[in-house]
Amino acid sequence: MEYIQGIAILIGINLIAVLGLCILTGFTGLFSFGHGGFMAIGAYISAIMTARLNLPFSVAILAGGLSAGLISVFIGQLTLKLKGDYFCIATMGFGEAVRVILNNVEYCGGARGWADLPKLTSWWVVLLLDIVCLVLTWNLINSRQGRNLIAVREEELAAQMAGVNVFRFKMIALIVSAVLAGVSGALMANYLQFLRPTMFNMAKSTDLTIMVIFGGLGSISGTVLGTILLVSLPEVFRNFAQWRLVIYGLAVIVIMVGRPKGIMGGMELTPAGIRKVLAARRAKAKLEAEVKAAEQGDAA
Amino acid sequence: MDQFLQQLVNGLSIGSVYALMAVGYSLVYSIMNFSNFAHGSVIMLGAYFGFFSLTLLGVPFSVAFFVAALGAAVIAVLLERLAYKPLRDRRAPFLYFIITAMGASIFIDNSVIATIGPTPKTFPSDLLPGFFQGDPFEFGALTIGRVDIAMFVVAAICLALLVFFIDFTKLGKAIQATAYNIKAAALMGINPNFIIILVFAIGGGLAGAAGILYGMKYQVFPQMSAITLKSFIAAVFGGLGSLSGALLGSLLLALIETFISGYLSTQYRDLFAFGILIAMLVVRPSGIMGKNIEDKA
Amino acid sequence: MNGVPVLELKGLTKLFGGLAAVNDVSFKVREGGISGLIGPNGAGKTTVFNLITGVYKVTEGQILYQGKPIHNQEPYKIACGGVTRTFQNIRLFKELSVFDNVYTACHLSANYNLFESVFRLPRYWKEDKLLKEQARSLLQIMGLEERQELTADNLPYGLQRRLEITRALALKPKLLLLDEPAAGMNPDETEQLMRLIVEVRKMFDLSVLVIEHHMDLIMGICEHIHVLSFGCTLADGSAEEVANDPKVVEAYLGAEEEK
Repeated sequence: MEYIQGIAILIGINLIAVLGLCILTGFTGLFSFGHGGFMAIGAYISAIMTARLNLPFSVAILAGGLSAGLISVFIGQLTLKLKGDYFCIATMGFGEAVRVILNNVEYCGGARGWADLPKLTSWWVVLLLDIVCLVLTWNLINSRQGRNLIAVREEELAAQMAGVNVFRFKMIALIVSAVLAGVSGALMANYLQFLRPTMFNMAKSTDLTIMVIFGGLGSISGTVLGTILLVSLPEVFRNFAQWRLVIYGLAVIVIMVGRPKGIMGGMELTPAGIRKVLAARRAKAKLEAEVKAAEQGDAA
Repeated sequence: MDQFLQQLVNGLSIGSVYALMAVGYSLVYSIMNFSNFAHGSVIMLGAYFGFFSLTLLGVPFSVAFFVAALGAAVIAVLLERLAYKPLRDRRAPFLYFIITAMGASIFIDNSVIATIGPTPKTFPSDLLPGFFQGDPFEFGALTIGRVDIAMFVVAAICLALLVFFIDFTKLGKAIQATAYNIKAAALMGINPNFIIILVFAIGGGLAGAAGILYGMKYQVFPQMSAITLKSFIAAVFGGLGSLSGALLGSLLLALIETFISGYLSTQYRDLFAFGILIAMLVVRPSGIMGKNIEDKA
Repeated sequence: MNGVPVLELKGLTKLFGGLAAVNDVSFKVREGGISGLIGPNGAGKTTVFNLITGVYKVTEGQILYQGKPIHNQEPYKIACGGVTRTFQNIRLFKELSVFDNVYTACHLSANYNLFESVFRLPRYWKEDKLLKEQARSLLQIMGLEERQELTADNLPYGLQRRLEITRALALKPKLLLLDEPAAGMNPDETEQLMRLIVEVRKMFDLSVLVIEHHMDLIMGICEHIHVLSFGCTLADGSAEEVANDPKVVEAYLGAEEEK
């Protein structure tokens, strides 16, 4: 029971960061190699505030999220007006840079790590934050701002011509995802009670992105499923740990080539979401029937 | 002054390996207009191919070198055919390519970890040609390692061959034409599919060469695919899409890195690559040799 | 209606390296008018559209919209100002439904900000409802209401073009730029489109600039035509004047068969 609760909490903690990437990659179409870096910032800020400055946890979480968000503004300003490749390379470099810096800051334990952090993350804090983040993400996506993010993902040029300030919306997606990553990092620091820079390397960033991909780009419920699946699987397959990532890598390729919409197929697991998909299918069938009838009418 | 020259030499030798990586990446970028983020894994596999052909198959070094380059070329082409081409055929968005590249590199890197194991391997010096057995060369106060000389010379030869191929052969000109405008080139009778395969093969070959050289200087290990970040930064520094830019950017990047670690500290060496990237993005995103690219419609 | 043209190009020039894609082009579009921009392939017509909508920066010359310069502004600002367009290669939000394509484009008709969205404050509820209504009514006017749940990618080709126009109308433009809206259409569909464009102009009180190769459409609805060839102006005037201009006849000699 203790064991399952542990996994549940890990799912809950990771979910917040993954929701951020869901917004950034799943709905806005931007790919980041460095969100581990934003998690690291949140984690270490929280650690400093709780372990060294004795500040309350809520302050630490807030500070962690906001610091990550602030730094993301800097990266966004430099790269989001350029081609997508620049953003990817910059986030890759950013993730590495954060790791190298942390490796050399003795105040935070350096490369050896920092242990004995206060355990402040309880299951209900995680649950509460999860619910809040899910609701806020949902509200964001289902609003005119969210639709603009999707437009940026679908057809950036057409979005511009439809009056969408593409740069501004990419920044919004980036900042929100960074803040969420920072919050997630803060929770992680005060749950695992131990921090080490390698925990937040590129493997962590790609792990988070894979959770979004498995669930399906463009589906919040898919992201939740993906996170649950991929955080609990390693525990199940502990014996085959080395092969886990081999399979993930292959699965990602297969998904992108075969079914980019992932498990959920871009659908939301809600009454409205399901209705929408069914309506689209009905409309398509109706259209095909009409086309067929017209062809037969012509032939007659 | 001697310190300076020493750092210069060190910088140039590692820079030449960066150049092989960066040029390979830029070549693919200039034709396909996309970044092959699995490039690092190709470099890494090249290193392993070279290592194992030397140690397990017992072939002479020159053969091992070719195996590294050829093997990496094959992997690159497989990657393109199996992962990227299906996406291209379906006009998939840019994002899908990056995700697939990420998946490919995770797959390749971890396959190596799961099968061969994560422990780094060192090239056994007794299996290397006699040239490498001796002591480093001494020129006054300058010490030049034999591997460093080899790296520089081999890389220079490879790049010279590439330049000759691109600028002076018919096929090379076909590549240039395709890089400029793929549709127009197709109308001129150039088969774009063939050019794409060729370019991935050359890029892969350069990567493999870089891999084995880098592995010889340092070590061979699965995580060395991360070195590709340096080549991306070098390419941005020199100007994305420009081959001469990639070359220049690599040498400059390596020189700056070497001087920083020589005069300041090695700890922050990797950080300066990132610093250069940021500086470039602030001052001149199109890079040193970059041309201004306007959007399409 | 004062005498200010809704669109005026003055000495517009665009150089790509050494090549002048558009070379010293000047013309006016009357407020409430329908103008046509024609010319052989590669004449620079789409480049002109790209310059007007801010996708390209102007090398020389000016673009005045309602008398004020808009050249070199950010594309989204120009669109918000009332200049919208359709594309030669359709650029719909393919994975979204027909309804969502228009619903998304209606975003300018609401003012609720990010905070109000995320926390679902009253202004969100009030204004988002209006967006839905605007989208629905637009789709109805344009005859797409029946298909609104269909994924945009599954729409028949002719309706896809119509959806693009609908999306462009969602921003309540004063100037609508249509880039080859009749491409790939048969004569019947082209007729329908012609009537649609004239109706839209009347109903939404806007001006239209059309790029087309279908001569029957251009001659049928355009009161004023500007002819480009190799980036330069070849002729400018009413449909009759242009049709009888010897330079235009020569440029099209042996090329255009009525599609």
